[in-house]
Amino acid sequence: MILPEILNSVVYAQEAASGGVAGTLGLNLTYFIGQLITFAIVLLILWKFVFGPVAKKLQERTDKVEKAMSDADRITKEKAEFEKWRQEQMNVARKEASEIVNKSQTDATKAREEILIKAKEDQQKLVDQAKEQIYQEKEQALTSAKSELANLVTTAAEKILRQKLDDKKDAELVKETLKNI
Amino acid sequence: MTIALPPLASEVVFHLGALPVTNTMVNSFIALVLFAIFAFFLNLGMKKYYAKNQAPKGLVNFFESILEVVLGYIDNVTKDRKKTLKFLPIVGSLFLFILISNWMGLIPGTGSIIRWVSENGHLTAIPVFRPADTDLNMTLAMAVFAVIGAHLIGIFTIGFFKYVNKFIKFGDLYHAIKTLKPINILTAIIEFFVGLIEVFSEIAKMVSLSLRLFGNIFAGEVLLTVLAGLIGGYGAYIIPLPFEGLELLVGLIQAIVFSMLTLVYLTMATTEPHAHVESNIDHKHDTMEFSEVERL
Repeated sequence: MILPEILNSVVYAQEAASGGVAGTLGLNLTYFIGQLITFAIVLLILWKFVFGPVAKKLQERTDKVEKAMSDADRITKEKAEFEKWRQEQMNVARKEASEIVNKSQTDATKAREEILIKAKEDQQKLVDQAKEQIYQEKEQALTSAKSELANLVTTAAEKILRQKLDDKKDAELVKETLKNI
Repeated sequence: MTIALPPLASEVVFHLGALPVTNTMVNSFIALVLFAIFAFFLNLGMKKYYAKNQAPKGLVNFFESILEVVLGYIDNVTKDRKKTLKFLPIVGSLFLFILISNWMGLIPGTGSIIRWVSENGHLTAIPVFRPADTDLNMTLAMAVFAVIGAHLIGIFTIGFFKYVNKFIKFGDLYHAIKTLKPINILTAIIEFFVGLIEVFSEIAKMVSLSLRLFGNIFAGEVLLTVLAGLIGGYGAYIIPLPFEGLELLVGLIQAIVFSMLTLVYLTMATTEPHAHVESNIDHKHDTMEFSEVERL
């Protein structure tokens, strides 16, 4: 069945072997050059229009991604550094603010105490002045009242006694009367 | 029932003027056209999204997502993104071309659409389409390109004399003689000859790269043909199915192996030679990594 064909192919091979091993295997310079040229054209097409541009684009994209990643790392690092710096500055500012507040509180307390002391002093002064004034006015009123009373008494005595005394005696009498009151 | 087992050599389907066009060349041209169409639509997408600085969608997004993974794999070998970007077009083109060529062999019509050609007075059926990698000329062309390309890039990267000193170690010999220590001189002489052997290993690289790919893909074609012919009737449609799946995997693995080995050659070629002892250790380490890939 298949044997005759195999034998036939062996015969073909033997015929071809008349050209040596190369002839048996079908090696032929013309065919070799033809196939080499075909492959060279395929290589040229694939190199120039397929692998070259696509690989270039892929590499560009890889470079871009790598750059973006390194930029992201740098930015993260810078951000961390900035955050550290900001924290330090915040701490300094907080410390300064705290000092200012403390100083203000101390100053305010001091000022309040001074104002209170001064107010108390002023108050005392006013009270003293008022007392003094009241005392003087009282004294004045008493003097005036005594004088008025003397006149009244004099007038009353004159009227009661219906006797006229000289002024000198009158005054002495009044004085004497007043002392005894 | 007849089974047209594919011969080792590719067959001439027609002539373009004086130039013969083989069926593997037809597949190579189709792959070329497919890549040109792909590049055209990809560029349309790129113009649309890249120009406006928008997030890509559709084909561009799909290709970018694949490329991201591929770049990661290449980075694992080169350990340097600059080198990765430099090698990507070469390694990527090899991978895509081999993968598409291998998978095209599984499309119905490949091997079954035939053209009758008159040979020595009698008509012979020639398949119009045949996977490009079942032609040793194709695999050898890619292997020669990969290995010679790696050497040229190595020379341009680390300098001619430093690069040549990897193989013809006159520099090491001179430094060893200067030390006047017999053991150093002996080691340098041995390394000099090891370097010369390395020159032959470079030729072996081309042979192994090309034969591995050719052998795997050609064997797959033969396997599928034989399986389809073993059982007649509907069995011919069912039996090869699991093997078609297997061939999909083989096509992918071989594309990975070829491109990864090329990548390793490129990386090694562009690595500056270290001090004496270190270079030996590095070389052993590299060889271990290779052997794992080469085993495939």
